[in-house]
Amino acid sequence: MSTERPSKEDILRPIQRTSRGYYILLGIATLAFGLFLVGWMYQLSEGMIVTGLSDWGSGGGVTWGLYIGAFIWWVGIAHGGIILSAAVRLLGMERYMPVARLAELLTIAGLSAAGFFIVVHLGRPDRMVTSIIGHYHITVHSSPLVWDVTVITLYLVLTATYLALTLRYDITRLRDDLPNHFEPIYKVMTIGYSEKEDLIVQRMVWWLALAIIILAPLLLHGGVIPWLFALIPSMPGWFGAVQGPQFLTIALTSAISGVILLSYGFRYSYDWQHIIADDVFRGLTLWLGFFSLLFLWLQLQQVVGGTYAAPLDQSTVVSAMISAPIYITSMTLVFLVLVYTFVQAVRPSLFSKKRSVVAAVAVLTATLLEKILFVVEGLMYPTFSIYGAVPGSYWPSLIEFASITGTIGMVTMFFLLVSKVVPVVELHAVEHLQEDHGHERSGDGGAETEVEA
Amino acid sequence: MNADDDSTGSPDSFHPLGDEWERELEELLEESDYDADLGMEMARDAMEVTKGELSEAEFHERYHDDVMEEFGQDDRPTEAALEELESDAGLDGSVSEALAAFGDDGAVDRREVMKKMGAGAAFLGLGAWATMDETDPSVDAAAAQDDESEDGTQWGMVLDLERCDGCLSCVQACADENQLDSGVNWMYVLDWEDPDEQLDTGRQRLIRPCQHCTDAPCEKVCPTTARHTRASDGLVLTDYDICIGCRYCQVACPYGVNYFQWNEPGVSADALDEDHIYSDRGRPVDSRAPRGVMSKCTFCPSRQDGNMGEEMVGSTACEDACPPNAIQFGDMNDPESAPQQYREDPPLQRARSMASDDDDELQEAIDIIDGEEEPAEDAEDGMTEAEARAMIDDLGGTADSTFKLLEEIGTNPNIVYVGNEPGPNAEQVGGPIQYDELSYENVEEEMVQLADERKDVTDEGTVGEYPL
Repeated sequence: MSTERPSKEDILRPIQRTSRGYYILLGIATLAFGLFLVGWMYQLSEGMIVTGLSDWGSGGGVTWGLYIGAFIWWVGIAHGGIILSAAVRLLGMERYMPVARLAELLTIAGLSAAGFFIVVHLGRPDRMVTSIIGHYHITVHSSPLVWDVTVITLYLVLTATYLALTLRYDITRLRDDLPNHFEPIYKVMTIGYSEKEDLIVQRMVWWLALAIIILAPLLLHGGVIPWLFALIPSMPGWFGAVQGPQFLTIALTSAISGVILLSYGFRYSYDWQHIIADDVFRGLTLWLGFFSLLFLWLQLQQVVGGTYAAPLDQSTVVSAMISAPIYITSMTLVFLVLVYTFVQAVRPSLFSKKRSVVAAVAVLTATLLEKILFVVEGLMYPTFSIYGAVPGSYWPSLIEFASITGTIGMVTMFFLLVSKVVPVVELHAVEHLQEDHGHERSGDGGAETEVEA
Repeated sequence: MNADDDSTGSPDSFHPLGDEWERELEELLEESDYDADLGMEMARDAMEVTKGELSEAEFHERYHDDVMEEFGQDDRPTEAALEELESDAGLDGSVSEALAAFGDDGAVDRREVMKKMGAGAAFLGLGAWATMDETDPSVDAAAAQDDESEDGTQWGMVLDLERCDGCLSCVQACADENQLDSGVNWMYVLDWEDPDEQLDTGRQRLIRPCQHCTDAPCEKVCPTTARHTRASDGLVLTDYDICIGCRYCQVACPYGVNYFQWNEPGVSADALDEDHIYSDRGRPVDSRAPRGVMSKCTFCPSRQDGNMGEEMVGSTACEDACPPNAIQFGDMNDPESAPQQYREDPPLQRARSMASDDDDELQEAIDIIDGEEEPAEDAEDGMTEAEARAMIDDLGGTADSTFKLLEEIGTNPNIVYVGNEPGPNAEQVGGPIQYDELSYENVEEEMVQLADERKDVTDEGTVGEYPL
């Protein structure tokens, strides 16, 4: 831990200081997002034919592909917020307090990207509201896609509420140092604030965190998202009870990787070594290793079960899967990350933040590849495989590829813009760190001073 | 079970709150000491009353006797008292009162009124049970089995794989009838071989239209009710105006019968005949799909709804086009229908379609097996039944094997195959006619060449093609 004392000036730095690097990154992110938007406009004008998708069966293609794979990937990343919030608020793991808000923002951004993919994937996105809402009372009984939309919406609303509540405390106290041109935003966000609410909000936030933590693993990524696939009996690559746990472990590895990257980025840009300490990265890396282990373990279950004496359709898809270069690449990446985390746990000198960042990028690459492959191969190897055109073929179009870089750009833009408006580290976290710091210092005569605004 | 926008209740259940609600009410009724069937019957008719399809007087007339028998009294007015009733809306809990409450606002949208009326009827339906339970015979509503229940029409097919010669006429006719794009093979025919199993007898061919499953997985997963099953005749259709193009139905269908409209269809909407698009409920469910929505074999609903004339009801384009009569379309719930007759005795029906009119001997054999002509007692007096049978079997062959496709998945398909069932290892092989050898002229007078693999066609629009 650095000897520098954390202060509120530190967390105000992203708002007050804008470097050249910021503009360059914002430019790149905007360009990536803009490129995809252009591609999407073209898709809207020409139809879904601009993608590499086609009809499965006699058609010889797959009808879901990169868009759906990327959708699952982003929902998975969005879980980062929840794990960290839960760790901090429910399990009392205060070490992660400084990155909790970053993680919560990642939830919002990740879910937005995922929601965007649903829209991009549709043949008639213009009817989304009328057709889905209009028949909701009927379809909610049977359509997993409607369950999905329901739970994602609920999750988004809960997380946004949670963030809005916790931001009130910070904005009120830091208001004098915040830029005046955002005054209307701050006014709305702190409407009716009084100090009496702090305790109440704290309790509300705890309950919200509890609700979200139950919702996310049990219903969202361990529930409705895998059920989109796991409930289809005629697609043996998807069908089965393992998908719930499997999806969840994959989501958790992606989520932690996302938080590692964000934490590193902010620490690096704003000299936050005394705020987001090395300890945070060590801890996150260990968690990454743990979930990677679960990820690989559940893959092992599927591979062994699908090759030993599986029914014909299932053994076909599993054999195809394990011989796919993309699958081998993906699993190797996760395995290497697992090796790294264990080695650095045994020999701490091998740990470095940069290595953890590399591990996070590796995992995110692996999970994206795995998710797309899962969707595509599931459709390529159906039970009814009599067609000459089955297994079909698929290679994403340039527009589909651009959707990945585009949504990464979109999420990056989100963070760059949000960090100019509100503090991305909680004031509470700084106060907390100050207390710790004070205790450490008091031994050698350092006095604890009140810096509360 | 999904409901269309324009129907106030889901098709199988007459109740606007759906199947489950209705079942619950039925169970409650069954627990009471009164006749549950009568209750349900009356409830169904009460819905008809709210829709204006049955007059209140008729309703009272219809059930007066039954209600008297069941409850010993009937407080409701019969036809004689109708006029008085109509001028006096104060009758407690009567249907007319409910109707008045919902119906007096002429300004609101018709559909909205229908919805409200549905809700009102639901309330009355519930009320019917409540009052019966209290042994109060002044029943306001309750209701009836009309002919659209379990025993109603269920369109389906019997497909004789032994008769199919793989000419693809059905595929072409379907494309022509529905103005389908190249590669959109709502009807698909394929030859197959099984590497593990050499069959000694029969053909190895499969005709694959949509199976119009009774428990259609595509309908179940649809997030919008665009994919729906019609209660009136069991057709599984896509409402082109509601579909959002998520393609989940295509994912969930075990048979791969769905074809998405990836781009603007070759034939514009203006060029299509409206009668060939809209069902009798005014929903767009037939002909090629507009861009961005899902399509599949429809069993020609515009024919079944009488849009093409009464003589076309009970026929499909593929059936009409099939030279060897391998396709038998009809009501699977009707033992007298063509498919059921065919299923009962495939050799006879084959012989019938093969026999020439001047082959008197064969015609006689057919008539004997058909029961239209008395067989001779012994061979010297003429043709015996055994002789006739032998003759028919000789020509029509045997049909030991019938099956439904992937029945184990639980979809309850409404297509019955006569012939060899392909095993799980079966693989498609080239047939006698190739898809691209055929074409049709669309209504815009352009030739459309059929294609086997749709992806070959859609790849032309893919941005950035890769040599894979």
